[in-house]
Amino acid sequence: MTFFTSSKEFETVNTNEPGNNTLCLAVMPKHGLKNTHTISLPIYWLKTDDKTLEETADNIERTELGLALKEILLDTLQEELWCTEINCLHKWTKAFKEMGFAYMALRQYLPGVTDNLAHTVKEALVLKGLPEFVQVASGTLFLFNSQNSEEDIKEKNKYIFFHPITDKFVTYDLTKTYKGYLDFPSVYLPSPKAPQIVSLNVSDKELEDISKTRLLALNLEEMKAIKNYFQNAQVKAARELHKLPNEPLDIELEIIAQTWSEHCKHKIFNCDIVYKDLEKGHTSEINSLYKTYIKSPTYKLMENRTDLLSVFEDNAGIVRWNNEWAFCFKVETHNSPSALEPYGGALTGILGVNRDILGTGLGAKPIFNTDIFCFAYPSQNLPVHPKLLPAKTILDGVRKGVQDGGNKSGIATVNGAIYFHPGYRAKPLVFCGTGGILPITVHRKQGFAKHTQISDIIIMAGGRVGKDGIHGATFSSEALHEGSPNSAVQIGDPFTQKRLLDFVIEARDRGLISGITDNGAGGLSSSVGEMAQLTNGATIELDNVPTKYPGLADYEIVISESQERMTISTSAHNYHELKRLAERYNIEATAIGTFHSRGYFEITRNNKTIALLDLEFLHKGTPKLRLEAEWKKPNINDSLGPQNNDLDKQLLSLLAHHNICSRETIIRQYDHEVQGLSVIKPLMGPKQQAPCDAAVIQPLYEEDTCLAISNGLAPQLSEYDTYTMSIIAVDEAIRNAVCVGCDPKTITLLDNFCWPDPVYTPSNSDGKYKLAQLVRSCQGLEEAVLAFRTPLISGKDSMKNDFADGNLRLSIPPTLLISATGKIPHAQSAISMEFKSREDLIYLLKAGDLSFTGSQYASMNNWQINHLPSLDLKLAAKLYAKLHEAILLQWVKSAHDVSDGGIACAIAECVIGSELGADINLDSMKNLPIERAYVSRHDFILFAEGPGHIIVTIARELQLEWEDFWREYSCTLIGTVNHSGILSFTSAETKTSTKIKISELFKAWQTPLPFD
Amino acid sequence: MIKPKALVLYGDGINCDNETMWALLQAGFAPTRLHVSELLETPKKLLTVQLLALPGGFSFGDEIASGKVLAVKLKEKLQTALMEFIEKDYLVIGICNGFQVLVQLGLLPSTEPNAKKSVSLCQNENNKFVNKWVELETSSSNKSPFFEGLTTIHLPIRHGEGRLTIPKNADLSTIKTIKKQSVLRYSSDINGSFDRIAALTNEKGNVLGLMPHPEAFIRWTQHPAWTLSKYPNPSYESDLKITVSPSFAVPHGLSILMNAAKIVR
Repeated sequence: MTFFTSSKEFETVNTNEPGNNTLCLAVMPKHGLKNTHTISLPIYWLKTDDKTLEETADNIERTELGLALKEILLDTLQEELWCTEINCLHKWTKAFKEMGFAYMALRQYLPGVTDNLAHTVKEALVLKGLPEFVQVASGTLFLFNSQNSEEDIKEKNKYIFFHPITDKFVTYDLTKTYKGYLDFPSVYLPSPKAPQIVSLNVSDKELEDISKTRLLALNLEEMKAIKNYFQNAQVKAARELHKLPNEPLDIELEIIAQTWSEHCKHKIFNCDIVYKDLEKGHTSEINSLYKTYIKSPTYKLMENRTDLLSVFEDNAGIVRWNNEWAFCFKVETHNSPSALEPYGGALTGILGVNRDILGTGLGAKPIFNTDIFCFAYPSQNLPVHPKLLPAKTILDGVRKGVQDGGNKSGIATVNGAIYFHPGYRAKPLVFCGTGGILPITVHRKQGFAKHTQISDIIIMAGGRVGKDGIHGATFSSEALHEGSPNSAVQIGDPFTQKRLLDFVIEARDRGLISGITDNGAGGLSSSVGEMAQLTNGATIELDNVPTKYPGLADYEIVISESQERMTISTSAHNYHELKRLAERYNIEATAIGTFHSRGYFEITRNNKTIALLDLEFLHKGTPKLRLEAEWKKPNINDSLGPQNNDLDKQLLSLLAHHNICSRETIIRQYDHEVQGLSVIKPLMGPKQQAPCDAAVIQPLYEEDTCLAISNGLAPQLSEYDTYTMSIIAVDEAIRNAVCVGCDPKTITLLDNFCWPDPVYTPSNSDGKYKLAQLVRSCQGLEEAVLAFRTPLISGKDSMKNDFADGNLRLSIPPTLLISATGKIPHAQSAISMEFKSREDLIYLLKAGDLSFTGSQYASMNNWQINHLPSLDLKLAAKLYAKLHEAILLQWVKSAHDVSDGGIACAIAECVIGSELGADINLDSMKNLPIERAYVSRHDFILFAEGPGHIIVTIARELQLEWEDFWREYSCTLIGTVNHSGILSFTSAETKTSTKIKISELFKAWQTPLPFD
Repeated sequence: MIKPKALVLYGDGINCDNETMWALLQAGFAPTRLHVSELLETPKKLLTVQLLALPGGFSFGDEIASGKVLAVKLKEKLQTALMEFIEKDYLVIGICNGFQVLVQLGLLPSTEPNAKKSVSLCQNENNKFVNKWVELETSSSNKSPFFEGLTTIHLPIRHGEGRLTIPKNADLSTIKTIKKQSVLRYSSDINGSFDRIAALTNEKGNVLGLMPHPEAFIRWTQHPAWTLSKYPNPSYESDLKITVSPSFAVPHGLSILMNAAKIVR
């Protein structure tokens, strides 16, 4: 597939025919164009399918269409409209040449890529009373001066002005004449084939080939299970009754493949594992990681957590908030799409998880987003490969996608994290999380459950079905026709989804929804296939499914992942009211079938059955995988260097480090206050520069009980031991929440595993080790969850985060993201992390031991240290409960967790946030280094990292009470707050003192991240 | 006392409707949330209330230009009712995207018939969306009743296209009018707005458009420095220029909306 077409090639493939009725419009500034720099202007293509536009470039000024276009497209104070027929575009090029430009370039979306701007223009034209048949496409017209060369224009602007996977970009030399110019991006599809029979009566080898060539991603065992199913006598009889062949049709194979995909069935988390611990020399059997380490601790904890309303069942975990409302939370990943096209990937990621919440229970309203990114920091040292996008392109695209996804949907992005590690060159991790609220009772039914009844109607609401997302990335590598709609990459439409969201909430409140779920991976085959289990059967009538364009094959309609769609069930009684409501909300809602109890998932076309699959088989027929895991402690040699004596410079370098420095430039571009719920924002304090540990919102306007949202991850420890990595991730999430005032007794957690492929194959030779890392991570997670009594309520795993082309193989560091939410009894109890007043006393609370292992300081100095940090889990749980008690007593003025950059960076952040100053006594912490190698090393005290440490301040007059309160814990007075504007670390014993001005700390910390 | 009625528009990408409803309720209004389509079906509904609120958000995804298409939609079917409403001295308040819609509708800075469009709200100078709390000053020469009792206030801004611009060739009298009707200014430049203008009214002062969000500051725990207010902090009082004091003062956003209720009562 050619990603951009050079003008020469273009001439031969697409000449604008005479009589072509495409009009081209450009929005020009009234004050003219200066050729001193590159210009970009909005451009539109207008065309009709079968009619000739009456308007021509010459008369358009006087026509209704022309007037409407001027009103819609222009700011008449600043702009004017240029118009030409596409085959007269040379008139423009002539004008541009006269203005002194050398080249023109046109950008437009590839056929079938979502063009939100064009949709809006179209809708505005219809509002102005213009006919529906006018089609609109949007793009950009660029003008370059002679300092550029044509080749440069294409190469240097790739990923800046255009993305080859979504855009066409054509350059024109203004000194030449062209036969044709970029025309309307019409979708072309050959007429689709009817469903084909696929014979499975073949050898094992051929079964595997079928899976491979059809991109089914099913293994031999699974293919054989399908083969057996179709040979079953009962199945044969049922198929005969429905006039179906004895062998499967392609559409049926596609449905099974979608339902059985790793994404939908989590086969690795559910498989049997033989776990060999080579250190201890014993072997054990694990029957499903999911059951053993994720579900089981939650079920144990549920005895004392009556607030858990729905766990591991719905699209999100649901927890009781009060007597009327429930809270739900889900985090998803969108890694592969973001690696391919970061903007679209992140945008559809965030919109997708919003829909998860919208499809929870009878429909929950999203109230916040939280986004965590793991990237490779752009640098010269990263591996380069034509199929790997530049690191900066990924950063910018993802950031922009989340901005548009959150801001345009009116959902506040309240919390997040960005973590850099070169390992994420293999794949960026884009975690998108959303929380929502839903009524506990909706029209006398439980709002947190689904109530789909037999004979309820299946409604598809929102967007239409297109080629989007069919077979994802693999498909895009095939040769495509010039007009083939792009299927690999999708761009979300937050506006349509916002309308859908408003509609669903209103329909829910009117009692019109009996069940709802979103259309994500697997499209209708998954959403309807899953809901069908509620009644034990469903039939989709394909003739009724609205499509974006003709020409889709039946199987494509069923598995398409086109965005902005919800599947709703409603009773025949409520159907008409639902339809009317949808119309008012400008939402297309179509009846596409019915739920029944016949035990089948059925698809019909022209009243003929074209797919019939037993539900039991479809959902429970997946053969269980059996995998091997081998754990051997990695061999890492200690390489500790001597203490650096320029501790002030070390601190400043750490503050400027990309894993520690301020996230302000990104935070400010995300609306973190919409809906008016915010209590603790990402940046607080007198100068809005105190980086808070967790977000706090007040979910209901009328009640000041608050919700804290935090996260934790520690991938830097994965290479040492994933067991500790999990414990530290859980601790960090909980500690962050507790620091803003969250009651630890109310916390619930989500787990998101992103792993490199843990299945051994010759090309993935350390698969067994990676699976062992997964096992140990799960074991650590279980231990932490039980110790903290914080149940996991939902989660997700993404298991193929590698890049491999046969020669180059890159894998991400195993990553576990823990997201925590919990309650704060009253908004007034929430606290922020910056120091509050001079004379306040600074204490260090401690449960566990710090270490240089995986620390930013060690990595900055290129040291590797094989002595992991540790946490006394029981003590930590008690310590956090105790701290919460102190917070409720209003004793704690600030609390901040010690994380990246250690105690010194934590205190520096408290000082930066307050613009006060602090005096820290290093001798008070001399017991921190417990290993002989670190004793009397101030750099250890300052920069070692680990779990269980919190910096708090209290008013001086409370000292006696406070110290008595903590007498059974490690709570050390380490310094005082002053208003000197200086942070100093002093040691009387070594007669050393390090003093740094706040302005210097601030300057270092404000080092910009490489985002546009 | 009978509460004044307010209509809060929602739908088509508006997204601050719920908090605007709640804020108006706190300010003493009896607000109703109404879908754009519903108001366009029965424009007369407008004449049953005393305040129309166009909340913030991303109407029509902010495509083409922010506020543009919602303005086109309202203009087609609501223009007459809207003019009548304004004529009767009722209040229209457009917040953020609502302000952009009012400008696109040609209702600001002038609601005189045949008034020429004289301002635009363009992309911020740094081309970036910004969510930040800012300090604002009310106009001392033209005291709008919306800002009665307020001089320096704090509110959040959350916009990408809030830079007020005037045409290059604008004449002096136009500039004078715009300056006169700018009832709120950023204390320091935040988005490149002409004359640091953050809000405009029409000639009569009953149509108000503002970029900052009053509905986002109706409880003290929304202020970014509120956690300081729990403790005596003499060192900050002078810096902040306001007393962060939940027990005594009304949050500034709520003050503005309470003033609105006072005007129509």
